[in-house]
Amino acid sequence: MSFETLRHSVQALAEAGWLPAALAWGFAVNALLAGVIAGPLLGALGALVVIKRHAFFSEAVGHAALTGVAIGILAGEPYSGPYGALFGYCLIFGIALNYLRNRTGLSADTLIGVFLSMSLAMGAAILLVLAGRINVHILENVLFGSILTVSGRDIAVLAAVALPVAVLIVVFFNRLVGASFNPMLARARGIDAATLDYLFVVMVTLVTVAGVKIIGAVLVGALLVIPAAAARILARSLAGYVTLSVAISSLATLAGIFLPMQFDLPVPSGPAVILIAGIIFLICAALRGVKGASA
Amino acid sequence: MNAPASVGAALEGPAVRFEGVGLRYGAARILEGIDLRAEPGRIHAIVGPNGGGKSSLLRCLMGQAPFSGTIALDWPAAPGRIGYVPQVVEFDRNLPLTVTDFLICFMARRPAFLRPRAAVRDRIALLLDRVGLAGKARRRMGDLSGGERQRVLLAQALDDGHGREPDLMVLDEPMAALDAVGAQVFETILNGLRDRGATLIWVEHDLAAVRRLADRVSAIDGQLLFQGAPQAELTPDRVLALFSHRRAQP
Repeated sequence: MSFETLRHSVQALAEAGWLPAALAWGFAVNALLAGVIAGPLLGALGALVVIKRHAFFSEAVGHAALTGVAIGILAGEPYSGPYGALFGYCLIFGIALNYLRNRTGLSADTLIGVFLSMSLAMGAAILLVLAGRINVHILENVLFGSILTVSGRDIAVLAAVALPVAVLIVVFFNRLVGASFNPMLARARGIDAATLDYLFVVMVTLVTVAGVKIIGAVLVGALLVIPAAAARILARSLAGYVTLSVAISSLATLAGIFLPMQFDLPVPSGPAVILIAGIIFLICAALRGVKGASA
Repeated sequence: MNAPASVGAALEGPAVRFEGVGLRYGAARILEGIDLRAEPGRIHAIVGPNGGGKSSLLRCLMGQAPFSGTIALDWPAAPGRIGYVPQVVEFDRNLPLTVTDFLICFMARRPAFLRPRAAVRDRIALLLDRVGLAGKARRRMGDLSGGERQRVLLAQALDDGHGREPDLMVLDEPMAALDAVGAQVFETILNGLRDRGATLIWVEHDLAAVRRLADRVSAIDGQLLFQGAPQAELTPDRVLALFSHRRAQP
């Protein structure tokens, strides 16, 4: 079944009253489909991000996306999806950061502070150049996500990223976790921790960039962290942790996309997704508090 | 539950040669001119004061530090399996990481968030039984005592992912957090590996344990100070000199 057929089927079901009325709109189906792909992916990768203590890194890559967009537009890419510059710039950002972390011995948070400041400064400078040429408000969609602008191309990009990253998560999950405990132990067990570090940085970067259209550059990093943090509070094993993280991320993404449409709320999809994830986090923290108090 | 066929089988440890091994970090010389040889079927202890370069020597052996000189592993046949017991592992103590999860990360390819195969579960149960942690497979790593965690680290080193034990076992102060029962478990396992032909290189602070267990000891404080049979070499005078006298930079 082609994507177009699927979308028309969903729209037809919505028009017939079998599905919520909001799904009668093509853009709404696009957004929901993007959420179906992005939610579980961000949840699964986020579980690793929290284990490997890369939360700040994923935030930084998300913010770097803003500069990537500015470079793309400056270079003549389409406003609606300057993916060449987005992927290119963010990959350079992430890989260079990881390279220097290995070479300089500086802590990750220090280097991220340096890189993030430089990147935002560059982005701001380019945006000032662009201000005379384009309506800079277009960038709001990039900053905070917009379901109105999710196109078939965006979904194709998301799917093209999601499939290999999902396979890599399954194949390398144990080694990625194992490498984080002790470098010499990893070496003794035949785990190439340095190469895996680069692989992980690339995975986080690709997923972050692919999620920018829905969640927004400012907030996409948060969706890699909040569901996993909530899951970590309640889970008792890695199986429960990853399952919960995927479930919370999927629920927050789909609800954040769907609820503003259904109830005509003037909230961009990104903030809606993150607010719902944040509320779930607070509920998990409260549940843990209740459990802890009664223990 | 059956033990894997390889448990209890003969092991083929290598002779490990350190020849003129040196290590510098910038201007600081950590090790210089270390010559020692660990033999198969023997426990070779390395002792010395804090900062004397014991763990750095292990880092060189494990390829984690850019040393000068030669470190050669002379395997009797094909290269065998290397087990490593680190002093500590770093992880978030509140992470929902069970003992089983931790071991699976090193013993299986199937991701730890999926239910492990029965054969892996059996091997984990056997390993935990060997290190005296039967029934603790579902305990969170962060909830274990330091000694229990150390025993989990020993358990991971006893299985290469295919149910085979290590031919070369490298241990970095594994007894630091152990109680008497834990120390007994370690001693039994180390003796078992030695008796079946493994080579053991063991960095240790507990000199009484070294006297009991090791076949040979090397004292290091930046350079090799003395080596030989522990009973003969670890005399009170030498021990006092080793741990109270700060060396000049080698």
